[in-house]
Amino acid sequence: MAFTMPVWKSIKRLALALGLILVATPAIAQPGEFSVDEINPRVEDNLLAVDARIEYALGDTVIEALENGVELVITQTLRLERKRWWWSNATVINQQRRYRLQYHAISRRYVLTRLANGDSRSFRNLDSLLARLGNIEAWPVIHDDQLNASGHYDVVLMTQLELDTLPRLLRTVALVNADWKLRSPSVSHSVVLP
Amino acid sequence: MIRLPRQGWVRIVLSVLLILSLYLLSAATENTARFGRLYLWLLLLNGVVLFILLGLIVNNLWQLTRSLRLREAGSRLTLRLMALFVVLAVLPGMVVYGFSMQFLQRGVDSWFDVRIERALDDALTLSQASLDQRMRDMQQRLEDAAGELSDVEGEMVPITLGDLRARTGASELVLLGENGRIIAASSIDTANILPHRPEESILLQLRQGRPYVGLDPIENAGLHIRALVQAPGPSGPSSKRILQGLFQVSPRMNDLADEVETAFSEYRELAYLRGPLKDSFSLTLSLVLLLSLLFAVWSAFYLARRLVAPVSRLAEGTRAMAAGEYGTQLPPGGNDELGFLVRSFNDMSQRVAEVRDAARQSQALVESQRAYLETVLGRLSSGVLALAPDGSLRTFNQAASAILSVPLAEGVGHPLSALAARYPNFGPFAEWVAGHCQGNANEWRAELVIDTSEGRRSLMCSGAVLPGEGDSGGDVIVFDDVTTLIQAQRDSAWGEVARRLAHEIRNPLTPIQLSAERLQHKIGEGLSGDQAALMQRSTETIIHQVEAMKDMVQAFSEYARPPTLRPQAVDLNRLVNEVVELYRGESEQPTFNLALAADLPRLEADPGRLRQLLNNLLRNALEAAGAGECQVSVETAEGEGRYADMLELHVQDNGPGFAESMLNQLFEPYVSTKPRGSGLGLAIVKKIVEEHNGMISARNVDGGARISVRLPQRMASDTRTGDSQ
Repeated sequence: MAFTMPVWKSIKRLALALGLILVATPAIAQPGEFSVDEINPRVEDNLLAVDARIEYALGDTVIEALENGVELVITQTLRLERKRWWWSNATVINQQRRYRLQYHAISRRYVLTRLANGDSRSFRNLDSLLARLGNIEAWPVIHDDQLNASGHYDVVLMTQLELDTLPRLLRTVALVNADWKLRSPSVSHSVVLP
Repeated sequence: MIRLPRQGWVRIVLSVLLILSLYLLSAATENTARFGRLYLWLLLLNGVVLFILLGLIVNNLWQLTRSLRLREAGSRLTLRLMALFVVLAVLPGMVVYGFSMQFLQRGVDSWFDVRIERALDDALTLSQASLDQRMRDMQQRLEDAAGELSDVEGEMVPITLGDLRARTGASELVLLGENGRIIAASSIDTANILPHRPEESILLQLRQGRPYVGLDPIENAGLHIRALVQAPGPSGPSSKRILQGLFQVSPRMNDLADEVETAFSEYRELAYLRGPLKDSFSLTLSLVLLLSLLFAVWSAFYLARRLVAPVSRLAEGTRAMAAGEYGTQLPPGGNDELGFLVRSFNDMSQRVAEVRDAARQSQALVESQRAYLETVLGRLSSGVLALAPDGSLRTFNQAASAILSVPLAEGVGHPLSALAARYPNFGPFAEWVAGHCQGNANEWRAELVIDTSEGRRSLMCSGAVLPGEGDSGGDVIVFDDVTTLIQAQRDSAWGEVARRLAHEIRNPLTPIQLSAERLQHKIGEGLSGDQAALMQRSTETIIHQVEAMKDMVQAFSEYARPPTLRPQAVDLNRLVNEVVELYRGESEQPTFNLALAADLPRLEADPGRLRQLLNNLLRNALEAAGAGECQVSVETAEGEGRYADMLELHVQDNGPGFAESMLNQLFEPYVSTKPRGSGLGLAIVKKIVEEHNGMISARNVDGGARISVRLPQRMASDTRTGDSQ
């Protein structure tokens, strides 16, 4: 009959169509991810300082935006929390470091600027910049004598890409696109302060 | 002024708010500083409104579907109007939307020109090329300086470095060890204490023997050229050091490069954001359109309902009117044509209700008059029949039924002849009435004697043609039972006759008798032979006849005598048995068939008079039977129907029956068909019955005559009182 077709033939066609779709689809964008790999608080000369290592991977979508002139702001948040057995932890200190990432087209360099003091450094490639950004050395947190009580504390670190500072048009997209939701889980480390 | 219901105001306010919100949304889309921050919130708010509108529309649709399923008034019209409104709103909206989207896409794309993009790229390349030359110069200059440093060592290094910086025009010179450690530095900016360590990749490149030169944009300091070259130490090429120099680009160059960089960056960013921009505009446009359309659809429901409401109310009102709910009033509906229609409907409904009430009142009046008439007719002792023009019985009263002894109720709506077929006694009356009615006289009056199941009756009838045409016409017949009246007149006359006769005859009888006895005594003794015998026979005849006349006079006198009753409780059955026993030995050898009702209540009556009554009836029956086998039936029974408080006594013989000519005068004195009758028997019977306030009737039945006596169980008090006196 003219209108009938063996089942296996139609399945074969379906598979072919699916294969074509897969080939035609552009390579799946690499998603970004922020993660706090290591956090190491230490007390030296009565100063609580924190060393940490954060792994930044921006993902193709965000990198594309960056290379097209969109400035990114990444925030690192460090919290010192006093442990309380009877209630949730009390936040003693909440410090933030905000960095701006931008691509400088003429110099073909990536510029990292700390927004608090305007310190900026440029890098040949993005990986160097992210490695520098993720390497926290001796983040001064607090002096012993500024603490009201000694005992068990938690140092909590997290980092995220700020969406509010994106251009407004991109902000709408970023709200609904998971590629832009770059936020590390909070990682804490216990420390006993005298 | 147009009056709007509360819901209408709410809708107007909601639509103003919606328009405001949509305006803010579009303002925010255009990226104005004032509303930019509100954009997301507005988007969210409008999204929520969208869902609420969707919910409202679904709710309205559900209600409409339910109305349609229940076939509620106006639901189909609402659906049509709704569909019309929706088509009118949605189609143009969709067309405008389609064109707007096309314009939007093309408009945004048209901002980005390929030539501008290329020009910017070229400007950037040009900037880089012009800087490249300077970068090479700086690298050469730094390499020369590195050569001069080759034999400098120890504490001389910073001094030489400062000297070299001044000569080369660098803003910073730094000598680094192979591992990148800073050996010495000289900077034009004394505030910047510690120079940055170079990146590892650059150090690696240098270790491989390749110098590095590149641009370095420094925040607040402008564009710099950073160059790194190998600087051999005094101990030979094996001690590898690195000289890093930072050279400021000329301010003019710096400004130009900065502007190119800014323009290029902004353009790239804008080009990159073209997609989100189009999406954003499309989203806003879609949202605006969708909200407007949904609002229009929602409002279409409201408008359709509002338009249809008076029509549905009218439909419901009409349906109610058709179902008989006159006086239905609809709520007033504006000043337009529909409002006029509603007012007209209300007027019409009210008028119909008024007419209906008037009709009800007149019907009630007719009913009350009818009831009144029926009551009056019911209380009349005269019988009344009303006949329709076609001769069928229309109405009658209870007295008519009683007088004619026929259940007239069975014949209502039928001609009288139909009733006559079931009740043969009624036949003569029906024919007689029909005859009179077919006559031409408007009124007639006549006397009529009819046979009923309760005896023969004399009726005084009068008839008249009822006024009116067609169905309302007909005849009315009024008749009175004058049997008793006539009988009473006769009885009274006969009583008078009897009394006078007795009085006039009795007086001469005794002298006649005495004279005859004296004749026999005085003359008879002197005669002999045949004369004596003749005298003897004649005087005895005279004496005997006088005796007989005395008896007759006595009977008359008794007939005329006022009653002296001594009533007491009498067992009628027992009395019948006693009297019948007396006749069992009669020469005629009569056969008595007794059918005496069991449990007969006692009768209040004078037993002597009752015995006399029974004697007379039995003798009458025996005498009527004449020769041959004599059979007499005696029945007693309790009365039924309107004779419920009476006891009945029926005596029937097997004789020839009453002569037809005698039936009217049967109970009058000296009326007898029998050769041996005194003529007073039945007259006395009737007198005794009347003394007891009873009733008597006689008729011929198959094989004999039947006399029925009805006596009340309790005598009227006035009779007893009269008796005692």
